[in-house]
Amino acid sequence: MAKQASVTQSMSGLHTWAGLIVGWLLFAIFLTGTLAVFDKELNWWMQPELHDTGLDQVSAVRVAESWLRERNPDASAWNIGLPTERGPSLSVSSGEQRRGQRTQLDADSGEVVVPRETLGGNFFFHFHYTLHMPRSIGIWVVGFAAMAMLVAIISGVIIHKKIFKDFFTFRPAKGQRSWLDGHNASAVLLLPFHLMITYTGLAIFFLIYMPAATDVLYGGDREALFSELRPGNEQQVERAGRAGEGGRAPRAEVPAAQMLPLEQFIGRGEAYYGEDMLGSLSVSNPDRANARVEVRPVMGTRLELTKGESLVFNAITGEVVGAPQPTRTTLLTQKVMAGLHFAQFGGYAMRWIYFLCGLISCAMIASGLVLYTVKRRRQVKSDTRWLRQAEWLNVAVIGGLMFACTALLWGNRMLPANMAERELWELRVFFGGWLLALVHARLRAPLRAWAEQLTLIALLLLAMPVLDMLLAPKALDGLRLSVDASAAAMGLILGWAAWRVVCQPQAVKKTAGETKKIRTSRTGVTS
Amino acid sequence: MSRVATPAARLWPAALARTLLAVVGGYAFTYSAVAALARLLPGEPVDVVISATLVSFLIYTLYVLWAFAVPLRRALLSLLVIPPLALIGFWPNLFAGAA
Repeated sequence: MAKQASVTQSMSGLHTWAGLIVGWLLFAIFLTGTLAVFDKELNWWMQPELHDTGLDQVSAVRVAESWLRERNPDASAWNIGLPTERGPSLSVSSGEQRRGQRTQLDADSGEVVVPRETLGGNFFFHFHYTLHMPRSIGIWVVGFAAMAMLVAIISGVIIHKKIFKDFFTFRPAKGQRSWLDGHNASAVLLLPFHLMITYTGLAIFFLIYMPAATDVLYGGDREALFSELRPGNEQQVERAGRAGEGGRAPRAEVPAAQMLPLEQFIGRGEAYYGEDMLGSLSVSNPDRANARVEVRPVMGTRLELTKGESLVFNAITGEVVGAPQPTRTTLLTQKVMAGLHFAQFGGYAMRWIYFLCGLISCAMIASGLVLYTVKRRRQVKSDTRWLRQAEWLNVAVIGGLMFACTALLWGNRMLPANMAERELWELRVFFGGWLLALVHARLRAPLRAWAEQLTLIALLLLAMPVLDMLLAPKALDGLRLSVDASAAAMGLILGWAAWRVVCQPQAVKKTAGETKKIRTSRTGVTS
Repeated sequence: MSRVATPAARLWPAALARTLLAVVGGYAFTYSAVAALARLLPGEPVDVVISATLVSFLIYTLYVLWAFAVPLRRALLSLLVIPPLALIGFWPNLFAGAA
């Protein structure tokens, strides 16, 4: 490097390369993360066999309790998933595995409902932070992408100062620099959101990503750190729970006892967490003298991410034996950051804000990727091979992933409900759809590939309400209709994008000359 | 074409070196800086671990930006800071091991 480039130039190069190389990853992370904002709603949509009986939690608990007492009187624990605003289903399970197989109950009749197996909205959530790789690898890849995003955001701010000047140096464009403008507008308007969501994303797995401090002070033993962090009470509860289940006091030796009706604990829990804030209720050692009832809030009672928090009662007397302790300040900081990322607070209003901001982030990343190829197409005549690769990869990732997500939703309705290995087939639909889009993107000319994929996705999304009405007419309720309506709305947006691609390729070409002027003023932008 | 359009063949090694420095060197730098912070910050160990680790992403980001902003040679020199920082963080661990 004979001559040191200016800071703006090197930042611009950094922005371009960091953005381009992880941009495809980032688009996948942001799109699935945006969809995961409504993961529970998608879960509900993807199991149309479940229906909202509108039963309140107290009655639901009554139904669940009698069902569990009849079928599993000797289980070490009962777990009841309560109907909530975001998922109005009642589910039960017994044994220690709270996350194990759950049985869905019809809250009215108390009969078992067997919904279709599905990946559910959970798929988007898991894909968001693992990219469907093994978890330990996935979170590192996503963490790397998030770091690159952070670097791209800040280097973008640094070069933007120059672009800002360019805006006034040149006359307002006659044609359009729509890609640059779109990229800048979406980036600048939501700069706080982009920074927040990226940094808080890194903060979730912070000790895994950066073990230095744990290595220094705890000899690398994260468990030692966690046990020190856990407020005393939770530890006790855990010990009490375990002691009851295994070792010290075998279940048979503990005398039977009359528990308070479980429905009472809804009121007690709500007195603590607030109305409609309970997500689940579980009982350890049911109908024994050492029975405990634990109520867990839905996430989102606070800004702080309160995963795993619970209020514990003595099931016989109803007294509180374990309440969550206030989190210490440093951990609270981290948990609030995680909470900001998970977006569980603030109800549906906040959820929609996150969803829309997420969509704009996706648009920013996508427009950045497209901007790169649009700029390159007019620039380097010699290196068209790399440009061609970037162009088709753009379509394969941006168009392809949107197609795959849409295909997954369609697959959920189209695949037979009682199919064997149904989840696996949904997975095949998702990745098969993506593969098809990739091959299509490789074979077609870029603009054609864009136009065709966008049109197809738009049509599929627009048709989703119709599909839902034809294939699951009985399941339509407010929640599912909202999913359909949102899909159709996104179909409209993508349809508009497709129409722009089809009808205005000339406009893009026309701006070539003028963008060149901008480019030459920013020498070394791309090397 | 732009002014710094040197042949790609000459640009690639420099870009690669810088990227490696930023990604790998940056992580090593951040790691040792956080280790030093963990040793130097006052407070209870749990609080120190969380505070030092939460700022690590900021340190890493700034290092990457800086590594791209300065001449390559100066950026490489920054690697010399890593051993002392790591030593600040780990000397009691090492010392205890020797004794």
